[in-house]
Amino acid sequence: MADAPLTNPERASGISRRGLERLDLMLLSVEALDLNGGEAMLWMAGQLGFSDLFPNRVELWKRRCFNPLRLACRRGQLSEPETDALINLLCALADRLYPMLRQLLSSAEPAAVTAERWGLFQKRLEELVRERLNPRRGGVQKLLDPTAGPPLRLQLIQGLAFGAGTGGFDRLKASLMDATA
Amino acid sequence: MKVSLRFEQTSCRLRLDGLPDLSAGQGPEVIGILSGWQLALAGHTELEGKREHLEALLQVVLPYTRHLVSGVPRRFGAEGNPVQIEPVAENGSPTRHRLRLFSSQPDTPPLELRFDDAELSDLVRCLDQLRLDPRVQLGFSLPPERPLPRREILERIPLRQRLFSPVAAATALAITASIGLMVPVPRRPTAPSISPSATPAAPLSPPLRNP
Repeated sequence: MADAPLTNPERASGISRRGLERLDLMLLSVEALDLNGGEAMLWMAGQLGFSDLFPNRVELWKRRCFNPLRLACRRGQLSEPETDALINLLCALADRLYPMLRQLLSSAEPAAVTAERWGLFQKRLEELVRERLNPRRGGVQKLLDPTAGPPLRLQLIQGLAFGAGTGGFDRLKASLMDATA
Repeated sequence: MKVSLRFEQTSCRLRLDGLPDLSAGQGPEVIGILSGWQLALAGHTELEGKREHLEALLQVVLPYTRHLVSGVPRRFGAEGNPVQIEPVAENGSPTRHRLRLFSSQPDTPPLELRFDDAELSDLVRCLDQLRLDPRVQLGFSLPPERPLPRREILERIPLRQRLFSPVAAATALAITASIGLMVPVPRRPTAPSISPSATPAAPLSPPLRNP
């Protein structure tokens, strides 16, 4: 099931703008969890054999700018090999960060410690969001909202935890291809 | 000849025992015939079962996780299925997941296990390792991962929010229509009546020309 039936090189990516938005937000969450996330992303892309697609930071950033919430947002669609490479990259990074994701989701640890971890994650994510995303977009305002924000952040972390590793690729890709409500 | 495989993740350990199916040309390290499996979950009773139980567990837990990633968790495992899983919302605590296992022995109450997201993701990672391992060739039929259709995603949006737009549109239409009804209808211009004064005085006979 690893070489997904969902992948077809002759087809344009079936991921909607909403899916690309979620994909970039999850990559942003990886950066919020790992202070050295940007470098790790590039290193991991090289390890996975995506050096041709993402030879440098700029090329990676250009692909991520298809997120409609970005300040420097690009129009158009990504091709399927590009989105697959981004999802593979995300799964590999989530696999690497799995112990941290697990700590965030676990209810076995003291509530105060978990709250502190979520607070730290929220602070870093908010910094990145304010720096890179368009604050006038409803989606960004919702993410920064004290009431609507926590469930959205939990969903991002759940997506990363359940999509981590090779086994998570199909699951994550199918969820990014969901119909838009 | 007997082969044992172990898959581990923080709070979960899955062990498979079996034999290679030599008639199918499988290598000595492959499990093609499952003789038993044990699933140890931290803080819960150890589970054991046969091939069909493991298949039922995979067929229920993996689609449930797929829906959870899309933010629309729902119950999986119909009545009569040996494995069922559903989300349980508890007051003041995050959503948990309830896994119920029905024994094939009669008069045995179902075993109920409650997981948080971390324990469920450990279990899913173990099951992912199992289904992707080339040494396990048990031929389980698992549903492929597919994008969810619009009607399933709509459940994520609360009913009130979903109904707001059509109700607002209908109200706006009703208000506009009632305002429109209050505007007086302009009077029709009366058709000009045929009166003798209005008829041009046409001479009945051509005027006499002066010679």
